[in-house]
Amino acid sequence: MTDEGTWVEAFEAPVEEATLDLVQDRLEAFWTRAVSVEPTERMKLEMAFVEIVGNIIEHAFAVDTTDGGRILSVVLRADADSIEAVISDNGLPTALDLGSVTMPDEDAVSGRGLALTVAAVDEMRYERVDGRNHWTLRLARQSG
Amino acid sequence: MIEFNVRTTDQGLGVVAPHGRLNMVAARHLRDAINGLIGGGTTRIVVDLADTTFIDSSALGALVAGLKSARQVGGDLRIARPTESVMTVFRLTNLDKVLRPRDDVEGAFDD
Repeated sequence: MTDEGTWVEAFEAPVEEATLDLVQDRLEAFWTRAVSVEPTERMKLEMAFVEIVGNIIEHAFAVDTTDGGRILSVVLRADADSIEAVISDNGLPTALDLGSVTMPDEDAVSGRGLALTVAAVDEMRYERVDGRNHWTLRLARQSG
Repeated sequence: MIEFNVRTTDQGLGVVAPHGRLNMVAARHLRDAINGLIGGGTTRIVVDLADTTFIDSSALGALVAGLKSARQVGGDLRIARPTESVMTVFRLTNLDKVLRPRDDVEGAFDD
Protein backbone atom coordinates (compact mmCIF):
# COMPACT_ATOMS: atom_id res chain seq x y z
CA MET A 1 0.00 0.00 0.00
CA THR A 2 2.89 2.33 0.69
CA ASP A 3 4.70 3.58 -2.39
CA GLU A 4 8.26 4.67 -2.19
CA GLY A 5 8.25 8.18 -0.79
CA THR A 6 4.79 7.89 0.70
CA TRP A 7 4.33 7.47 4.43
CA VAL A 8 1.08 6.58 6.15
CA GLU A 9 0.29 6.03 9.80
CA ALA A 10 -3.03 5.44 11.51
CA PHE A 11 -3.89 5.09 15.17
CA GLU A 12 -6.71 5.51 17.67
CA ALA A 13 -6.78 6.99 21.15
CA PRO A 14 -9.39 7.70 23.82
CA VAL A 15 -10.63 11.29 24.00
CA GLU A 16 -9.01 12.46 27.24
CA GLU A 17 -6.42 15.04 28.23
CA ALA A 18 -3.48 12.62 28.38
CA THR A 19 -4.11 11.88 24.71
CA LEU A 20 -2.71 15.25 23.71
CA ASP A 21 0.84 14.25 24.66
CA LEU A 22 0.29 10.79 23.22
CA VAL A 23 -0.72 12.07 19.79
CA GLN A 24 2.20 14.50 19.76
CA ASP A 25 4.52 11.57 20.54
CA ARG A 26 2.98 9.62 17.65
CA LEU A 27 3.38 12.59 15.34
CA GLU A 28 7.06 12.91 16.30
CA ALA A 29 7.53 9.21 15.62
CA PHE A 30 5.89 9.69 12.22
CA TRP A 31 8.38 12.43 11.35
CA THR A 32 11.29 10.14 12.07
CA ARG A 33 9.94 7.83 9.33
CA ALA A 34 8.82 10.55 6.90
CA VAL A 35 12.38 11.75 6.60
CA SER A 36 11.92 14.19 3.74
CA VAL A 37 9.51 16.42 5.66
CA GLU A 38 11.23 19.70 6.53
CA PRO A 39 11.26 21.08 10.11
CA THR A 40 9.11 24.07 9.06
CA GLU A 41 6.52 21.75 7.52
CA ARG A 42 6.50 19.56 10.62
CA MET A 43 5.96 22.55 12.84
CA LYS A 44 3.07 23.94 10.79
CA LEU A 45 1.23 20.64 10.69
CA GLU A 46 1.88 19.99 14.38
CA MET A 47 0.51 23.42 15.33
CA ALA A 48 -2.73 22.84 13.43
CA PHE A 49 -2.97 19.21 14.57
CA VAL A 50 -2.64 20.01 18.27
CA GLU A 51 -5.22 22.79 18.06
CA ILE A 52 -7.78 20.45 16.50
CA VAL A 53 -7.08 17.56 18.89
CA GLY A 54 -7.18 20.00 21.83
CA ASN A 55 -10.48 21.31 20.55
CA ILE A 56 -11.95 17.81 20.36
CA ILE A 57 -10.75 16.97 23.89
CA GLU A 58 -12.07 20.24 25.30
CA HIS A 59 -15.39 19.74 23.56
CA ALA A 60 -15.72 16.24 25.00
CA PHE A 61 -15.14 17.51 28.52
CA ALA A 62 -17.59 20.36 28.06
CA VAL A 63 -20.35 18.00 27.04
CA ASP A 64 -19.47 15.57 29.87
CA THR A 65 -20.50 12.39 28.10
CA THR A 66 -21.10 9.57 30.52
CA ASP A 67 -20.54 6.46 28.45
CA GLY A 68 -16.80 7.05 28.23
CA GLY A 69 -16.75 5.67 24.71
CA ARG A 70 -15.32 8.58 22.81
CA ILE A 71 -12.53 7.60 20.48
CA LEU A 72 -10.30 9.70 18.29
CA SER A 73 -8.87 8.28 15.06
CA VAL A 74 -5.89 9.79 13.29
CA VAL A 75 -4.51 9.13 9.82
CA LEU A 76 -1.23 10.80 8.90
CA ARG A 77 -0.02 10.81 5.33
CA ALA A 78 2.99 12.41 3.68
CA ASP A 79 4.29 12.27 0.12
CA ALA A 80 6.21 14.53 -2.22
CA ASP A 81 3.20 16.81 -2.82
CA SER A 82 1.55 17.22 0.54
CA ILE A 83 1.27 16.30 4.19
CA GLU A 84 -2.16 15.46 5.49
CA ALA A 85 -3.73 14.67 8.84
CA VAL A 86 -7.30 13.41 9.14
CA ILE A 87 -8.69 13.43 12.66
CA SER A 88 -12.06 11.77 13.30
CA ASP A 89 -14.14 11.48 16.44
CA ASN A 90 -17.52 10.07 17.37
CA GLY A 91 -18.58 13.10 19.41
CA LEU A 92 -21.30 15.66 18.92
CA PRO A 93 -21.35 17.64 15.68
CA THR A 94 -19.51 20.94 15.67
CA ALA A 95 -21.36 24.06 14.60
CA LEU A 96 -18.58 26.03 13.06
CA ASP A 97 -18.31 28.62 10.33
CA LEU A 98 -14.72 28.26 9.16
CA GLY A 99 -15.12 31.26 6.87
CA SER A 100 -15.55 33.57 9.84
CA VAL A 101 -12.43 32.52 11.74
CA THR A 102 -10.24 35.53 12.52
CA MET A 103 -7.30 36.16 14.84
CA PRO A 104 -8.48 37.89 18.04
CA ASP A 105 -6.87 41.04 19.49
CA GLU A 106 -3.49 40.75 21.16
CA ASP A 107 -4.94 41.01 24.67
CA ALA A 108 -7.45 38.16 24.24
CA VAL A 109 -6.86 35.15 26.51
CA SER A 110 -8.62 32.68 24.20
CA GLY A 111 -9.97 32.22 20.68
CA ARG A 112 -6.68 31.84 18.79
CA GLY A 113 -6.84 28.10 18.17
CA LEU A 114 -8.76 27.88 14.93
CA ALA A 115 -7.21 31.07 13.56
CA LEU A 116 -3.79 29.56 14.23
CA THR A 117 -4.85 26.36 12.45
CA VAL A 118 -6.10 28.26 9.41
CA ALA A 119 -2.87 30.28 9.32
CA ALA A 120 -0.65 27.20 9.62
CA VAL A 121 -2.02 24.91 6.91
CA ASP A 122 -3.16 25.35 3.31
CA GLU A 123 -6.45 23.53 3.75
CA MET A 124 -8.66 22.84 6.73
CA ARG A 125 -11.92 21.03 6.22
CA TYR A 126 -14.64 19.86 8.59
CA GLU A 127 -17.25 17.27 7.64
CA ARG A 128 -19.89 15.36 9.53
CA VAL A 129 -20.24 11.90 7.97
CA ASP A 130 -22.14 8.91 9.36
CA GLY A 131 -22.31 10.32 12.86
CA ARG A 132 -18.62 11.18 13.01
CA ASN A 133 -16.67 14.42 12.83
CA HIS A 134 -13.82 14.50 10.33
CA TRP A 135 -11.18 17.21 10.37
CA THR A 136 -8.78 17.31 7.43
CA LEU A 137 -5.58 19.35 7.60
CA ARG A 138 -3.47 19.59 4.48
CA LEU A 139 -0.15 21.26 3.89
CA ALA A 140 1.12 21.60 0.31
CA ARG A 141 4.83 20.95 -0.09
CA GLN A 142 6.97 23.44 -1.95
CA SER A 143 9.48 21.04 -3.43
CA GLY A 144 8.57 17.66 -4.86
CA MET B 1 5.52 15.44 29.57
CA ILE B 2 6.37 18.94 30.65
CA GLU B 3 8.26 20.10 33.72
CA PHE B 4 8.27 23.57 35.20
CA ASN B 5 11.20 25.14 36.95
CA VAL B 6 10.11 28.11 39.06
CA ARG B 7 12.60 30.32 40.90
CA THR B 8 13.15 33.87 42.12
CA THR B 9 16.36 35.68 41.20
CA ASP B 10 18.53 37.92 43.42
CA GLN B 11 16.97 40.93 41.68
CA GLY B 12 13.51 39.74 42.68
CA LEU B 13 12.43 38.45 39.30
CA GLY B 14 10.16 35.43 39.20
CA VAL B 15 11.33 32.99 36.55
CA VAL B 16 9.14 30.23 35.12
CA ALA B 17 10.95 27.83 32.79
CA PRO B 18 8.74 25.23 31.07
CA HIS B 19 10.78 22.26 29.80
CA GLY B 20 8.90 20.46 27.03
CA ARG B 21 5.61 21.11 25.27
CA LEU B 22 3.27 23.86 26.32
CA ASN B 23 -0.05 22.41 25.22
CA MET B 24 -3.56 22.68 26.65
CA VAL B 25 -2.77 20.51 29.67
CA ALA B 26 0.49 22.30 30.42
CA ALA B 27 -1.14 25.73 29.98
CA ARG B 28 -3.05 25.28 33.24
CA HIS B 29 0.18 24.54 35.12
CA LEU B 30 1.78 27.59 33.52
CA ARG B 31 -1.13 29.74 34.68
CA ASP B 32 -0.85 28.30 38.20
CA ALA B 33 2.91 28.91 38.30
CA ILE B 34 2.49 32.54 37.25
CA ASN B 35 -0.41 33.12 39.66
CA GLY B 36 1.61 31.49 42.45
CA LEU B 37 4.44 33.97 41.96
CA ILE B 38 2.09 36.96 41.81
CA GLY B 39 0.19 35.70 44.86
CA GLY B 40 3.50 35.49 46.72
CA GLY B 41 4.30 39.11 45.90
CA THR B 42 6.62 38.57 42.91
CA THR B 43 5.13 40.77 40.20
CA ARG B 44 8.00 40.97 37.70
CA ILE B 45 7.94 37.66 35.87
CA VAL B 46 10.08 36.19 33.12
CA VAL B 47 8.92 33.10 31.25
CA ASP B 48 12.09 31.44 30.01
CA LEU B 49 11.18 29.58 26.81
CA ALA B 50 14.66 28.26 26.00
CA ASP B 51 13.61 24.65 26.62
CA THR B 52 10.01 24.99 25.45
CA THR B 53 9.73 22.87 22.33
CA PHE B 54 6.13 23.65 21.38
CA ILE B 55 3.43 26.17 22.24
CA ASP B 56 -0.30 26.12 21.45
CA SER B 57 -3.08 28.70 21.64
CA SER B 58 -4.11 27.83 25.19
CA ALA B 59 -0.56 28.43 26.43
CA LEU B 60 -0.53 31.75 24.59
CA GLY B 61 -3.77 32.55 26.41
CA ALA B 62 -2.12 31.66 29.74
CA LEU B 63 0.76 34.05 28.96
CA VAL B 64 -1.61 36.89 28.09
CA ALA B 65 -3.64 36.21 31.26
CA GLY B 66 -0.39 36.26 33.27
CA LEU B 67 0.66 39.51 31.63
CA LYS B 68 -2.66 41.11 32.59
CA SER B 69 -2.51 39.81 36.17
CA ALA B 70 1.05 41.06 36.63
CA ARG B 71 0.23 44.51 35.25
CA GLN B 72 -2.83 44.79 37.47
CA VAL B 73 -0.55 44.69 40.50
CA GLY B 74 2.04 47.05 39.03
CA GLY B 75 4.34 44.40 37.60
CA ASP B 76 4.91 42.93 34.17
CA LEU B 77 5.51 39.64 32.37
CA ARG B 78 8.16 39.13 29.73
CA ILE B 79 9.32 36.20 27.66
CA ALA B 80 12.94 35.26 27.05
CA ARG B 81 14.90 33.04 24.70
CA PRO B 82 12.11 31.49 22.58
CA THR B 83 13.20 29.00 19.92
CA GLU B 84 12.55 29.88 16.29
CA SER B 85 9.56 27.53 16.02
CA VAL B 86 7.93 28.91 19.17
CA MET B 87 8.59 32.44 17.92
CA THR B 88 6.75 31.62 14.69
CA VAL B 89 3.59 31.01 16.73
CA PHE B 90 3.99 34.40 18.44
CA ARG B 91 4.33 36.08 15.04
CA LEU B 92 1.34 34.28 13.50
CA THR B 93 -0.86 35.45 16.37
CA ASN B 94 0.61 38.99 16.47
CA LEU B 95 1.60 38.38 20.09
CA ASP B 96 5.22 39.30 19.32
CA LYS B 97 4.00 42.90 19.64
CA VAL B 98 2.82 42.60 23.25
CA LEU B 99 5.31 39.92 24.30
CA ARG B 100 8.56 41.02 22.69
CA PRO B 101 11.18 38.31 23.25
CA ARG B 102 14.27 39.17 25.35
CA ASP B 103 17.68 37.67 24.75
CA ASP B 104 18.31 36.65 28.33
CA VAL B 105 16.43 36.04 31.58
CA GLU B 106 18.47 38.21 33.96
CA GLY B 107 18.29 41.24 31.69
CA ALA B 108 14.65 40.83 30.67
CA PHE B 109 13.62 43.86 32.77
CA ASP B 110 16.60 46.08 31.93
CA ASP B 111 14.59 48.35 29.60
